[in-house]
Amino acid sequence: MGSEMDPLLLAWSYFRRRKFQLCADLCTQMLEKSPYDQEPDPELPVSQAAWILKARALTEMVYIDEIDVDQEGIAEMILDENAIAQVPRPGTSLKLPGTNQTGGPSPAVRPITQAGRPITGFLRPSTQSGRPGTMEQAIRTPRTAYTARPITSSSGRFVRLGTASMLTSPDGPFINLSRLNLTKYAQKPKLAKALFEYIFHHENDVKTALDLAALSTEHSQYKDWWWKVQIGKCYYRLGMYREAEKQFKSALKQQEMVDTFLYLAKVYISLDQPVTALNLFKQGLDKFPGEVALLCGIARIYEEMNNISSATEYYKEVLKQDNTHVEAIACIGSNHFYSDQPEVALRFYRRLLQMGVYNCQLFNNLGLCCFYAQQYDMTLTSFERALSLAENEEEIADVWYNLGHVAVGIGDTNLAHQCFRLALVNNNNHAEAYNNLAVLEMRKGHVEQARALLQTASSLAPHMYEPHFNFATVSDKMGDLQRSYIAAQKSEAAFPDHVDTQHLIKQLKQHFAML
Amino acid sequence: MAEQRLAMRTQFPASAESLKPRLKKAPEFPILEKQNWLIHLHYIRKDYEACKDVIKEQLQETQGLCEYAIYVQALIFRLEGNIQESLELFQTCAVLSPQSADNLKQVARSLFLLGKHKAATEVYNEAAKLNQKDWEICHNLGVCYIYLKQLDKAQDQLHNALHLNRHDLTYIMLGKIHLLEGDLDKAIEIYKKAVEFSPENTELLTTLGLLYLQLGIYQKAFEHLGNALTYDPTNYKAILAAGSMMQTHGDFDVALTKYRIVACAVPESPPLWNNIGMCFFGKKKYVAAISCLKRANYLAPFDWKILYNLGLVHLTLQQYASAFHFLSAAISFQPKVGELYMLLAATALSFFVAVALTNLDDTENARRAYAEAVRLDKCNPLVNLNYAVLLYNQGEERGALAQYQEMEKKVNLLKDSSSLEFDPEMVEMAQKLGAALQVGEALVWTKPVKDPKSKQRTTSTSKAASFQQPLGSNQALGQAMSSAAAYRKLPSGVGGTSQLTKPPSLPLEPEPTVEAQPTEASAQIREK
Repeated sequence: MGSEMDPLLLAWSYFRRRKFQLCADLCTQMLEKSPYDQEPDPELPVSQAAWILKARALTEMVYIDEIDVDQEGIAEMILDENAIAQVPRPGTSLKLPGTNQTGGPSPAVRPITQAGRPITGFLRPSTQSGRPGTMEQAIRTPRTAYTARPITSSSGRFVRLGTASMLTSPDGPFINLSRLNLTKYAQKPKLAKALFEYIFHHENDVKTALDLAALSTEHSQYKDWWWKVQIGKCYYRLGMYREAEKQFKSALKQQEMVDTFLYLAKVYISLDQPVTALNLFKQGLDKFPGEVALLCGIARIYEEMNNISSATEYYKEVLKQDNTHVEAIACIGSNHFYSDQPEVALRFYRRLLQMGVYNCQLFNNLGLCCFYAQQYDMTLTSFERALSLAENEEEIADVWYNLGHVAVGIGDTNLAHQCFRLALVNNNNHAEAYNNLAVLEMRKGHVEQARALLQTASSLAPHMYEPHFNFATVSDKMGDLQRSYIAAQKSEAAFPDHVDTQHLIKQLKQHFAML
Repeated sequence: MAEQRLAMRTQFPASAESLKPRLKKAPEFPILEKQNWLIHLHYIRKDYEACKDVIKEQLQETQGLCEYAIYVQALIFRLEGNIQESLELFQTCAVLSPQSADNLKQVARSLFLLGKHKAATEVYNEAAKLNQKDWEICHNLGVCYIYLKQLDKAQDQLHNALHLNRHDLTYIMLGKIHLLEGDLDKAIEIYKKAVEFSPENTELLTTLGLLYLQLGIYQKAFEHLGNALTYDPTNYKAILAAGSMMQTHGDFDVALTKYRIVACAVPESPPLWNNIGMCFFGKKKYVAAISCLKRANYLAPFDWKILYNLGLVHLTLQQYASAFHFLSAAISFQPKVGELYMLLAATALSFFVAVALTNLDDTENARRAYAEAVRLDKCNPLVNLNYAVLLYNQGEERGALAQYQEMEKKVNLLKDSSSLEFDPEMVEMAQKLGAALQVGEALVWTKPVKDPKSKQRTTSTSKAASFQQPLGSNQALGQAMSSAAAYRKLPSGVGGTSQLTKPPSLPLEPEPTVEAQPTEASAQIREK
């Protein structure tokens, strides 16, 4: 009976069941049979329908949510001249997280990433990177994400997707863009929308997409908000943030949509205007009270601005609306962990486990929480599970590193030593492990080894204050005040409020000033 | 420093004269020195940029022969932390005027700052030949000898320095030497003199106060710490020490208000959180205590005293497994120094471990721990009593008897030496045990009929044994407090800087790699 089914209906059904490849194949067959509709304006334009369906299927195959994924390439970060203020006031910029320490945890309690932000509970494309000050810093892969960073975003992810689409249709592309008469298609709004999405997502030809969108919006006499949003997306992709902002704003005037708010906020974040983005989100919340995506956006911005307490509030709000929100649970959990409440954190992580998250990171965190909440029976089994679930060597290294902490916690320095060594075996660039090994060596009295380890650690991770400070104190003890001073200054740069560093620098300055 | 600068000025003409004969062209001479006043003015105003400009000009004019300009340039380099460069410049100065002791002193000082102590002593000795009566040379020689671990020579030099000119720094160094040698009394003598000499130096006052605290002379300690606080109300060492003293006297609220001041200034200080935790413990707010102590432990994972206190709090809360973990960690981190209070602490530690193990029903290890405690213990009858109870409950009456007798010996000793009041609960317990032991032994020979009664006894003692724990820990409470107090004593006694190296062990931050994969994140949103 299936063979008797109308092919278009079958293709449609495939599409609904997200079997895009099958759907596209079927549509290709149909289009091969009758490439064009016979009459100029038929009652049932079957071929046209098949064409649209194929375009949509191909688009869906490579579709990526524009709102969420935003990985900045090196070029965008270094050559970023879109920020309004080069020297922003404290609390108004994402660039200088150090300046807005309102409610942020101290680096002595919560480790920080390379960008100077407290380590986050949930890895997302933009949190790890921040905006580096120097080229060197930009090239260095941040600790929380070991994947190589694309040189620019347009040559990274998007190009890969483009080539992927080439492979799926061996006899050339489905639509030959250069031969497309955009004006003609712009006259047909329904067709144009599908075509636009195909060009934008599948072909990744932003310029042509922009042309089509411009023609279409003209055709609709600037009354269709959808086209405005699409034009905004194109501008955003091209890096023309101000133009994108205009389009999104006018789209919002016509029709308020959650998506549009999110896109506009994204523009503001790219312009380094977090406060404006926050206001926008709050406006959006007035229209769409309790919208999770908006709440989550606010929470993320607060987190990037080091305002952890506000971020947690909003994450809690998110959980009220959607109690299976992984990101919110993970962030609140890690926040509790770093504010001396491992028991509470444990509950959040257990919730994640119940929800079916089953990976190395979660078990690692469970193990740590168990240890600090004194549930000793579960600690080691959790870590064992984490080790068995680890997907790459970096994860294994992190688990061993944390096991080293557990070993220190139970007072077994030999075990700790071995754990940190294992962490280094798995990941030779684990600066924290180097530092901790150095501390252990110091305790054994092996000063020279400790110094060497500390130097390695500080060259690997200049953003951590601990190796600098440790090196400074060790050198100070040995009487090598010059090096001590240099290291202490680095430590102060990494963590300006560290009292011990300040004491040390004061002491050294006295030494230098004394005649 | 100002004095020193003046000295430089007066010394200056001399060196200019010494330059004079060597220069062939007489008319150039006045140019050489003409801007010295300007350099000096800029220097003492700390206007280093302008100063450098003038120096550069001057050096260009004179082809690098102006000694004063080079000298000041070197000083500026040193202030900026570029010691190697400054050393080179000072060496040039020394070449320009080899007879000046000041130049040599500066060269030596640079070497000292670079950590080349041996070379520094040589240069200082040379300088000393040029200028016999300079306290600075003696002082610095002494400091170099300290670094070279030649304490006798260091002492001689420092005493020389004191003869020539009394100075706070010299006193402090001398005190440090005595502390390194472990001679508290002499150190106190030195610090006393120092305080007489400069009564407003808060560092001296605090150190002296801490030393008194270490010796248990609370009155004087408090006096000095109080003085230090009047001169500098935010001195964090002094506040911490004063707070811990209040803690020992049970003034927890006052101590907490003191700590509040410190917490603003030094939020990451492990001893501070330790003391706050023990304050809460004293006020019987156990959850707060544990959370504070845990933070302290997080900041300084190698500190055995914090672990000890954590173990104690958990013991009081009857969470014996946790207590055991903390205590055993404390034992493994405890330094093996044979000082008196260390020994006391070690005894207490193994004692607590034993108590924890008893409650965990691990009698085998509990006995080992008790044996260790008894071995270390010199004067605490409580240890023997508990050991005896354990042995008795295990049915080893002979061992129990031996411990009981040991305990009686200690009690008698204590009664002789001091009029100490014994805890009534402990006395009662001891009497019960004594009775049980004697009755039990008598039973073996006389009437086995009484067996049920003795059994009842044993049950009662075992109940009391579990009763014992609160008592044991009550006793321990005092000990913990003193350890909290001892906490500050120790470090600053040994020397402020050496203490500060401990906190760096705080880098041990667990960094939970809390991350869900980014791909998952996008999936998450899309579903919405």
